[in-house]
Amino acid sequence: MKKVREKTAKKRSKEEEEEEEEQIFNFKDKPAGKEEEDEDLSDSEESVFSGLEDSGSDSEEDEKESDDNDDEDDDDVTAVESKQPKQTEEEEEKEEVVGGVTEREEEEKKEDEYEHDSSDEEDIRNTVGNIPMEWYKDFPHIGYNLDGKKIFKPIRNKDELDDFLDKMENPDYWRTVHDKQTGSDIVLSDEQVELVNRLQKGQFGDVNFNEYQPSVEFFSSDVMIHPVTNRPADKRSFIPSLIEKEKVSKLVHAIKMGWIKPRRVEDDTRGRFYDLWAGEDSSILGRHKMHLPAPKIPLPGHQESYNPPPEYLFTEEELALWEQQDASDRKLPFVPVKFSSLRQVPAFSRFIHERFERCLDLYLCPRQRKMRVNVNPEDLIPKLPKPKDLQPFPTTQSLVYRGHSGLVRSISVSPSGQWLASGSDDGSVRFWEVCSSRCMKTVQVGGAVKRPVCLSTCRPHSYVASSCECGRAVHQVAWHAKGDYLASVMPDHSSHLQVLIHQLSRRRSQNPFRKNKGLVQCVSFHPVRPYFFVATQRSVRIYNLVKQEMTKKLQANSKWISSMAVHPGGDHVICGSYDCRLSWFDLDLSTKPYKMLRHHKKAVRGAAYHRSYPLFASASDDGSVIVCHGTVYNDLMQNPLIVPVKVLRGHVITHDLGVLDVTFHPTQPWVFSSGADATIRLFT
Amino acid sequence: MSQLQARFFTKDKRFVVDDVPFSIPAASEVGDLSNVINQLLLAKNASHSKVDFDFLVRGQFLRSSLSFHMETEGISTVRPDWMILTGSYDKTARIWSVEGKAVMTVAGHTDVVKDVAWVKRDGLTSLLLTASLDQTVLMWEWNSERNKLKARHCCRGHTGSVDTVATDPTRSKFCSGSWDKMLKIWSAVPTDEADESDTSAVSSVLWCDSEEVCSASWDHTIRVWDIETGGTKTTLMGSKVFNCISYSPLCRRLASGSADRHIRLWDPRTKDGSLVLLSLTSHTGWVTAVKWAPSHEHQLVSGSLDNLVKLWDTRSCKAPLYDLAAHEDKVFCVDWTESGLMLSGGADNKLYTYKYCQTDAGA
Repeated sequence: MKKVREKTAKKRSKEEEEEEEEQIFNFKDKPAGKEEEDEDLSDSEESVFSGLEDSGSDSEEDEKESDDNDDEDDDDVTAVESKQPKQTEEEEEKEEVVGGVTEREEEEKKEDEYEHDSSDEEDIRNTVGNIPMEWYKDFPHIGYNLDGKKIFKPIRNKDELDDFLDKMENPDYWRTVHDKQTGSDIVLSDEQVELVNRLQKGQFGDVNFNEYQPSVEFFSSDVMIHPVTNRPADKRSFIPSLIEKEKVSKLVHAIKMGWIKPRRVEDDTRGRFYDLWAGEDSSILGRHKMHLPAPKIPLPGHQESYNPPPEYLFTEEELALWEQQDASDRKLPFVPVKFSSLRQVPAFSRFIHERFERCLDLYLCPRQRKMRVNVNPEDLIPKLPKPKDLQPFPTTQSLVYRGHSGLVRSISVSPSGQWLASGSDDGSVRFWEVCSSRCMKTVQVGGAVKRPVCLSTCRPHSYVASSCECGRAVHQVAWHAKGDYLASVMPDHSSHLQVLIHQLSRRRSQNPFRKNKGLVQCVSFHPVRPYFFVATQRSVRIYNLVKQEMTKKLQANSKWISSMAVHPGGDHVICGSYDCRLSWFDLDLSTKPYKMLRHHKKAVRGAAYHRSYPLFASASDDGSVIVCHGTVYNDLMQNPLIVPVKVLRGHVITHDLGVLDVTFHPTQPWVFSSGADATIRLFT
Repeated sequence: MSQLQARFFTKDKRFVVDDVPFSIPAASEVGDLSNVINQLLLAKNASHSKVDFDFLVRGQFLRSSLSFHMETEGISTVRPDWMILTGSYDKTARIWSVEGKAVMTVAGHTDVVKDVAWVKRDGLTSLLLTASLDQTVLMWEWNSERNKLKARHCCRGHTGSVDTVATDPTRSKFCSGSWDKMLKIWSAVPTDEADESDTSAVSSVLWCDSEEVCSASWDHTIRVWDIETGGTKTTLMGSKVFNCISYSPLCRRLASGSADRHIRLWDPRTKDGSLVLLSLTSHTGWVTAVKWAPSHEHQLVSGSLDNLVKLWDTRSCKAPLYDLAAHEDKVFCVDWTESGLMLSGGADNKLYTYKYCQTDAGA
C-alpha cells in the first residue's frame, strides 16, 4: 500500500513538473492548465483508487513505471537542463510552432492524456537519438529536426578563452546551460533556477503544493458500513482443486511404483554425534537430575492491598516501632497505606528493590530438596488388636457375694478355684463357694475391732492367712509359692521391723531387713525364683533371698504405690498407685516403667495378674475394674503387648471408696472384685 | 420290665383286698391275677372259695398279659406317688411327695449335699445316693412302706467335694464327679471303683448309655467316656465353663448349660467335636441346670442364676416356650418327674413343681 502511495506521489510530482514546464512555456493557456491541473488532481485521485482496486492485475507495469521514474528522478536535472535551451530556442525562433505544438499537445492531452504523460515521450528536437555528439563534430549541423531538416550548429564556436571570458564577464553565465544536442546555450530564467534549486533540495517543484495535506485514512479502527471490496469469494475457494488432486495422485502413484524413494536416512555409524557425558559418574548425573523449582513468591495479603481493612493499617505506635526497627527485623517490609481508589495509587517505589531481592533470593539461596514426609496421624497410633480378638476376658457381672457388713478389704481365691475368701472391715473372714455365691463359713477374727483383714491362700495347701490388729495393723500378707513361707507387712515409718517372713513348718519368724528403707506398702514373692519384691512409697526393691542382697530397684514414676502384682512368669511387675496410674515394669528392660496406664479416674487400689491367661486387672476408687490384655513373649526382643480390653463396673462408690481389691480366678478368665459397698462381684 | 406294681379295687365288699401296691410279674395274665386275689382272700378269710375274676385296667378288660395290654393301650408304669429327692446346703437331703409333703430327711453328711440321685425305686425299698462336699457319696436304702432309712454304703475316695452323681440305666453302677478332677464309677452292689481323670473340676456327669458316661467340666469340655476301657471316646470343646449337661435318649442330643448364659445342643456321636447344633439364648445369667423332658423329644427345661426357669422347645430356638418366674433367688437345679411335672430348686430354699399342660403351666 505504501508503495502504491509513493508511486502515486511520484507520478503526481512528475506530472506537476511537466505542468510547470508547460506553465513556463505557455502562460497564455493558464486557464486550460488549471483545468488540466484539476483534472490531473482528480486523475491522480482516481489513479489511487484504481491502483487500489486492481492492484493485482497491473502491478508489473507499475513496478516498471516506478523503475523508470526512478531513473528519471536520477537524471531529472540533466533532463531539464537538456530540454530547456531547446525550448527557449524554439521560443525565440518559432513561436507559432511552439504555440501550435502546445495547442496540439493540449488537444492530444484531451484526447489521450497518457500519451503525453508516458515517460518515453520526450520533447525531441534533434532526432539523431542517443548517440555521442562527437560524431557530429566535423559537420556543420548537429542533427535533424522532426521535419528532417538539418539543425545547424551555432555559427561561432566558443573556444576555451571565449568560455573563460564569458565566465568572467557574463553575469548570466552561471545560469547558462549548454544543450549538447542542439549545441546552443540556454540562459535559465529566474523561475527555472528556482525550480532547479527546489528540485535539488528534493522539494516539490510546485511552490504551492502542500505535501502535508491531510490524508484520508482508509484503514482505520472504525468499522465501515461497506466492505472494502465487495467481491464475492471465488467458487474455486470452496471446491477442492482438481489440479492439486491430480498432482497428489501422481505422487502417490509414483511412490507406489517405487519411482519416488524416501529420503535416505543418514547413517550415524561414522560417529558424528557422541554422548558427551557417557563416561560421567552416575552419582554426579543423578545430582543434576534433581530440579528444584524456584520458590514461589507468597501471594499478596491484605496488607498489600491499596485499600486494606483498617485493622491492617499501622497505629502510631506500630508505625513508630516499624521505623525504629532495623529493616531486616521488620515484620513487613512496607507500611500498609490506604487509598480511596486505585487511581490514586502511586507507582510502586520499591519495585526495583523488590525485584533485586527476588533475584538475590533466586540465585544466592542454596536450595535443597526437603523430603517432606506425609504422615497420616492415624498411622502413628500403634496398631492394637481389637479386644474381640483377645477373648477370653471377663465381660459381664455374673455373681454378687453379699454378706459382709463392712468394706471388703481383700479377697483371695483357692488354688482350685472352688472357694473364695474375703476379709472385711466388719472383723470377719468369709468363705464363699464360687459357683453358687453361698457363704460357707464366717470366721470372726478381730472381734469388735474393725481392722483391715488381709489374706492370701497358698497354693499347695488350703491354709488361709489373715491378719488383723494385733498390737499394730498388719497391712498385708503374702504367700510364697511353695506354701511354707509367709511374709507380712506392718507399715511403720520408724521401725525396721516392717516386713517379717514367717516359716510355717518351723513356726518361726525372721526379720530380713536391718534398715528401714521407707514405708513398705506391699511385698510379694517371686513365683519361681528366690526373689522378694518390696514396694515402698516410690519404688519397688527386688531382693535376692539366697544372696541376701538387693538386685534391682524399680522407679515407679508415681507418688505413692498402693499395690503390686508379679507376673506368673516372674519377669514383669505391675504397680498401682494412688495417683491413678498403673505402671508395668519389664524387669529385663529397664528400671523405669515400660508402660504407664492412666485409665483410672481415681486412685488405683488393687492390681492382679491372671495365673494362666494373659490378663491383668486393676481396681480403682472410681468404682471400676479395668481388665487389660497383656501378652508376654518369650522373645526378649519383643515387648509385651498391652491392650485394655474391658471396663467392668458394678460396685457402688461408698464413702469415696470404690473397688478395694481385685483377683483372678486361677483357672477361668474370671475376675473377682471386692468393694467398699460390702460386696464381692464375679465378672465372667 | 419284669415286675409291675398294682393295686386292686372292687365295689363288692366280699372281695375287698388291702389298698397297697402289689408287685406282680408283668407277664401275668387274667388267671394269674385271679390266683393272686384268691390267695389274698384265702389268707384273709379261710372260708373263701375260689372265684374267677375279670379285671378292668382303666376301664378296659384285661384280655392278654399285663405287659402286652399296657403296650397296646399305651399305659405307662408311672406311679402317682413318685417321691422327690432333694439335697440341700443344710447338709441334708429330703424326700418329698409330689404333693409337697416332706416325707423323710436324710441326715448324715458332715457337709453340704451337692447332688442326689435315685438308684432304684422299684418296690417298697428304694436306693438313693447323696453326694456331698465332705468328699463322700452315701448310699441309702429307704423303705417307703415303713418310712425307714438306712445308710448302706459310704463311698470314700474323692479328695475334693463330690459335685455330681449319676446312676446308670441298669441301676447297677453309678458315677460321681468331683472337684478333685476325678470321675469315679462305683458299682451299686459290691463296692468297686474305676477312676478316670479329667483336667478340671467335673461339674456334671450322666450316663448316656449303659456303656458310656458323659461328663461336663470347667475345663470347657464335654467328654464321653467308655467305662470298659476308661478312656475318652469323644471330646466336645466349648469356650466357656459347662455347668450342667443333659442327655435325651429320645432325640440323642446333649444339652449343656454354661457360664455364658447359653444353652447349647450337641450331638455326642460326632467325632470331631465342637459342633454346636443349636444355641438357646434367653437367660441373662449362668445356666445352672438343664434337663430334657423324659417323654417329650423336643422339650427341655433350664434354670439359671437370673431366677428364671425356662421351658424350651428345640423347634423354636429363638425364644423359650415359657418363663417360669417363681423363684426369688438363683435357681440351682431343675428336673422332670416321669409324669411330666417340672421341678426346680433354688437358693431361696424352695422347691417348685410345675405342671405343663398343652396350654398352660401351673405351679
